[in-house]
Amino acid sequence: MAASERKVRVLVAKVGLDGHDVGARVIARGLLDAGMEVIYTGLRRTPEQVVRAALEEDVDVIGISILSGAHLTLLPRLRKLLGEAGAQDIGLIAGGVIPQEDIGPLKEAGVNEIFLSGTPVPDIVHYILERYGDRA
Amino acid sequence: MGSGYGRGHHRSKEPSVNESLKPQPAGPGTASLPEALKEWRERHYDAEVAEKGEQRSFMSDVGIKIAPLYTPLDVDSGRSYLEDIGFPGQYPFTRGDRAGMYRTESFVVSAYSGFGDAQDCNKRFQTLVDWGAEQLLVALDLPTQCGYDSDHEMSTGEVGQVGVAIDSLADMEALFDGIDLTRIKRVGTLGNSIGPIVLAMFAALGERRGLEWSQYTVNLQNDPLKEYIARGTQILPAEAAARLASDCVAWCAEHAPNWSPMTVCVNHINAGGAGSSRSAAIALSNAMHYLDLLLGKGYGIDQVAPLLHMFPDERHDFFISVANLRALRRTWARLMKERYGATRPEAMALRMTVYGHGQETLQEPLNNIVRIGFGTLAYVLGGASYVYIASYDEAVSTPTEESVKVALRTQQILANEHGFIDTIDPLGGSYFVETLTNQIEEQIRGALSEIEDAGGARAVITTGLGRRWMTEGAVRRQRALDSGSRPWVTVNKWPQQPNVPNTAFRIDSRTLQKQLRRIADVKARRDPARVEAALAAIDEACRNGSNMVPPTIEAVKALATVGEICERWKSHFGVFEPSTDF
Repeated sequence: MAASERKVRVLVAKVGLDGHDVGARVIARGLLDAGMEVIYTGLRRTPEQVVRAALEEDVDVIGISILSGAHLTLLPRLRKLLGEAGAQDIGLIAGGVIPQEDIGPLKEAGVNEIFLSGTPVPDIVHYILERYGDRA
Repeated sequence: MGSGYGRGHHRSKEPSVNESLKPQPAGPGTASLPEALKEWRERHYDAEVAEKGEQRSFMSDVGIKIAPLYTPLDVDSGRSYLEDIGFPGQYPFTRGDRAGMYRTESFVVSAYSGFGDAQDCNKRFQTLVDWGAEQLLVALDLPTQCGYDSDHEMSTGEVGQVGVAIDSLADMEALFDGIDLTRIKRVGTLGNSIGPIVLAMFAALGERRGLEWSQYTVNLQNDPLKEYIARGTQILPAEAAARLASDCVAWCAEHAPNWSPMTVCVNHINAGGAGSSRSAAIALSNAMHYLDLLLGKGYGIDQVAPLLHMFPDERHDFFISVANLRALRRTWARLMKERYGATRPEAMALRMTVYGHGQETLQEPLNNIVRIGFGTLAYVLGGASYVYIASYDEAVSTPTEESVKVALRTQQILANEHGFIDTIDPLGGSYFVETLTNQIEEQIRGALSEIEDAGGARAVITTGLGRRWMTEGAVRRQRALDSGSRPWVTVNKWPQQPNVPNTAFRIDSRTLQKQLRRIADVKARRDPARVEAALAAIDEACRNGSNMVPPTIEAVKALATVGEICERWKSHFGVFEPSTDF
């Protein structure tokens, strides 16, 4: 690894009121073990707070864990706020329980990728490194 | 078996009576049991393993390595049947909390349900009762659980999503419209962070129907401490939340001793990764924290301990699950008697609520029916009193009516077919299950000692011990899954793509609008002076430490909203600080 290369920075976030953060923390740990720099927001953040943290921490990608069914409201809002903050280039990926028919609309709304519950962590690591590794 | 089998005339040398009564008698030949076992193990089992290998490590989720065979040698040493196992309904309650167990009253077939607004949800409740549900536990949406009204900014996208939206007593009355509270064994909800509010709503609901509180039974989870560790609906700092929760128990001890106002949970901590034994220890330390608060207010252990139930959990290993329930009953009985000096059997006999799960998958979700059925059977064999069960599509969304029906019928099948409940504690006496029961009791006690050395229930939260145990376990589980060392059908064996079908249940898209209208209507028709006086009484109870339930009942009857009451609490106690550890 060249000295100038910087590690991929990821913000793992819980947005809305969903309090189940085991998945988020396991993913955070897995990304850390894979050599990324990982920040976790903790529970119950608003989209505004997540975007602010992403800018402050200068991350390459935001990973949202969402299990409460509020994904159609909260994920597009995150992408919109990133755009308004001039941070359209920050990746937005989401994991959780998301019905198949919602995936298309979410991607149209600017969510880069969706990982359903049960996806192996190495698959997510691979995706992030492939897509965001060279930008670091 | 006994060497008495050798006392026929076919043997050339008949053993003496003394020899025939020796413990650990000979198998074939004259070897003792330890010798015979060693011979079997080395010459037969290990020889076969050397040839074929073992299929896997047989490591259980709690870290107990399962042996190929259990014998009397595993259970005899240093244990006494009467002291350690005993009879159902008698100390130490290993075999059951009541003498008659399921022979006199089966486990209570229960449904946890809620979605949308109160009127939509009421229809589902009526259906559940028609299908034979004996207990209804209201699933509340996240805004309600977290103390926000439907019109609050934080409620965006969440109203009616994972449960029903309840903003005021008016919603609760609509929810139970036409349901006779006296003909249902228990009604209740989780309400972990809003315990006094939901207790007050159920109290007021009965009162407005002219019922005495003794005529129906309310069950709450009302266990806020585990929310900070695992479930995440906490509102206030933990100490204030524990006080409000214990106020509910105190109020019931005086006004509704037949209610069960607190169900201390293992479930979410284990689901979060900590493993069933460590999670049980955390739950026990939480229970003792609540009990200590109550004793500090002058209540006696025999008065309050019977009002606490527990909610054990083990989803990975069937026999560990059976043993976990047995070990938890024994551990509770011993703690209540030895540490707290309880004398009433009801204070030592732990009643347990369970929620049947397996390791459910998003892949081919119909398979979850089988997984959940087996997971629930383990709880039944372990002697749970109140049984809820996951629906096979629960990992996907709020369950559909069809999947809820399958779940309810599964419980009814377990209670009525196959002879599962015909004898009490059917696995008692199994070398395997008794050994596991002993090992799990030791694990729970060991973990409890660690917790107490660290500073008790509060330290589990403040030092991050609880989250550390959870993360360790969750990462271990994920690795076992990724590496394939723990087989999981359709996930790492015969793997399939996870899929959330489009048939997933959706709430009515008008739910939010309906709920906003209802909250506006309630605010328009209530008496503002009465609301303000009731909220001022809540302020006063925050300040002077008196029981929060009576002023909350007044506030609820005045149609104060969940959010308004919680705002008063927050302004006095402050709010919790989210942890960013992982």
